[in-house]
Amino acid sequence: MASAFSAVAPSCIRFRPQPPPSRRTSAAYSTAERTCTSTTTAQIDDSQTSFYQMLGIPMGATCQEIKAAYRKLAKVLHPDVASPLSPADEFMRVHKAYTTLSDPEKRAHYDRTLFRRNLRRPSCVLSASPSYSGYNSRRTWETDQCW
Amino acid sequence: MAAEPAYTVASDSETTGEEKSSSPLPEIAIGIDIGTSQCSIAVWNGSQVEIMRNTRNQKLMRSFVTFKNEIPTGGVSNQLAHEYEMLTGSTIFNMKRLIGRLDTDPVVHASKNLPFLVQTLNIGVRPFIAALVNNMWRSTTPEEVLAIFLIELRVLAEVHLKRHVSNAVLTIPVSFSRFQLSRIERACAMAGLHVLRLMPEPTAVALLYAQQQQQTVHENLGSGSEKNALIFNMGAGYCDAALTATAGGVSQIKALAGMTLGGEDMLQNMMHYLLPEMDNLFSRHGIEEIKKIGLLRVATQDAIHKLSFQSSVQIDVDLGNGTKICKVLDREEFEVVNQKVFEKCEFLTRQCLQDAKVEIEDVNDIILVGGCSYIPKIKNILMSICKRGELYSEINPLEAAVRGAALEGAVASGINDPFGNLDLLTIQATPLSIGIRADGNSFVPIVQRNTTMPARRELIFTTLHDNQTEALIIVYEGDEKVVEKNHLLGYFKITGIPPAPKGVPEINVCMDIDASNVLRVFAGVIMPGTQHPVTPFMEVRMPTVDDGHGWCAEALHRTFGSTLDLITVKKKVQ
Repeated sequence: MASAFSAVAPSCIRFRPQPPPSRRTSAAYSTAERTCTSTTTAQIDDSQTSFYQMLGIPMGATCQEIKAAYRKLAKVLHPDVASPLSPADEFMRVHKAYTTLSDPEKRAHYDRTLFRRNLRRPSCVLSASPSYSGYNSRRTWETDQCW
Repeated sequence: MAAEPAYTVASDSETTGEEKSSSPLPEIAIGIDIGTSQCSIAVWNGSQVEIMRNTRNQKLMRSFVTFKNEIPTGGVSNQLAHEYEMLTGSTIFNMKRLIGRLDTDPVVHASKNLPFLVQTLNIGVRPFIAALVNNMWRSTTPEEVLAIFLIELRVLAEVHLKRHVSNAVLTIPVSFSRFQLSRIERACAMAGLHVLRLMPEPTAVALLYAQQQQQTVHENLGSGSEKNALIFNMGAGYCDAALTATAGGVSQIKALAGMTLGGEDMLQNMMHYLLPEMDNLFSRHGIEEIKKIGLLRVATQDAIHKLSFQSSVQIDVDLGNGTKICKVLDREEFEVVNQKVFEKCEFLTRQCLQDAKVEIEDVNDIILVGGCSYIPKIKNILMSICKRGELYSEINPLEAAVRGAALEGAVASGINDPFGNLDLLTIQATPLSIGIRADGNSFVPIVQRNTTMPARRELIFTTLHDNQTEALIIVYEGDEKVVEKNHLLGYFKITGIPPAPKGVPEINVCMDIDASNVLRVFAGVIMPGTQHPVTPFMEVRMPTVDDGHGWCAEALHRTFGSTLDLITVKKKVQ
């Protein structure tokens, strides 16, 4: 089911008539977010950074370390403190990483998929898989399409 | 970057919209706590928060506006000769309880025995509110009353700061709908104030707490580990609870809960208790009745205040025409009469703890603020829920919210403090769920309550009928399953859905809340197997409804039935 939607998502974004400025991308952008949220725990983009890397912490980080890293990043990335033109997306991604890793159940699930991903070699080519997901595929998309 | 999307509909009531997130302003925004009964105003003075005093040296000013002369005056500048003067029919108060409410709202109905005119026709429009001026009803609105009051506050700040004041952070109750927030913004705009942030009251307290914790850590060179605080705020009109996780000057709001419940409800209960036939007596709403109800109100209020510090109180009030109340009231009686109020307080606190997924043992501090925090029963409830013997004592319960608002004012204005006292951040959460009407008459949330902001969520819907070419997106805010019990924020139509069997077109509805709490709703149609959205996504800033919106949903239903309805595609993804 999810793959049917995701198949649509990236392409619809790509063909949006006008790539709008960051603050206005939400509708299109979110399509990717949905793909992502529905599959985060199931699939992780091979070639990109993990939630751990995003927060700048080792895989064995304690709950305290995760929280501390999240706070440190929030103080830089949160739209209230970041430059007014910076989009909220970066903070939202960090928050997603934080919520996943700070919940023991979600973290365990995530760790398992991360482990499986590392076993599989990057044989899967991103664009060939319509249901690929993960933040960094989106980040690539953003860089390509938005900025 | 400046290109506008093809379809953008912004509500006309949003006078303060886009500038919200513009570049940092050099001017330090003031913090305003507009209470149902009292207001205060504060500002970051360069090294700390300073609460401003009016010419009578008051930090807390009564929230009311008197329409006696040509120019109405408010509680900031106006000296009341006596408490009773507030009850002659010419003074409007409790505007925070009335703002943004329709004449079908029970809270408005409960306001009908206030000593001015609140009339309801139950048709879903704003109530008729009026002050008695020279024996004539002079109609007004809560926005106007609030604006008059805010102008006085602004003038006070300008005199104090010797500069023009235009930016403000205001505290608001957790339970306020976005429509009510838009009314507050409207009042601010009328008063020449630009709203930098509207902060739920307990989150302002949380920010103050975060600053205090950070200073303690600095002094002790401590580890700065995370602290959870439960904040319970109860004033005259509203009751809020919040759970905040604090470390390193960052206050992360884990859960918020609020309801329209406060000292006013206890006062009404006590008045009914002391004079059971009150509603009949005062239904005529003449000058005599207003005076009587005023007398009873003042006497009861006085007694309630005293019961916070003594176990019993003597009430002696002569309402005229042989109606006399002579009674000794004790604290237990007060607690029994208001049992339901206290039960709701407990419910709210437990709900907040549950939503935050924080165990009671992990709560480090319990912070009780607001005018009702002096009531012994409220203290006991909080301590018994948290199994604690004491409450956090480093915060002045009546100044906490305004101090937090002033801190946020400085932080949001981009002010830096060399000592790191403004090295603060609040990560807010949404107090209410936001969603649309779908699956018949159900409320389908898209953004769940207590979602961290900024946030973006979406759901896929589909058509209910074969060859359905249009769909109605009706946006609500709240947490009730039945859609009408929630707050209507607005509605718009998606057109140009290609004819297809029901269930085939994918209607994508996305909601985006930015860090300054602006809500945008996007919707578009994608046909399976195609690459494009059928038409450009439609983007609508909410709320779009105005004061007469009470009948909107009903009218939409009458006109369209279920012809433009949507259903959810599958289990929601987030």
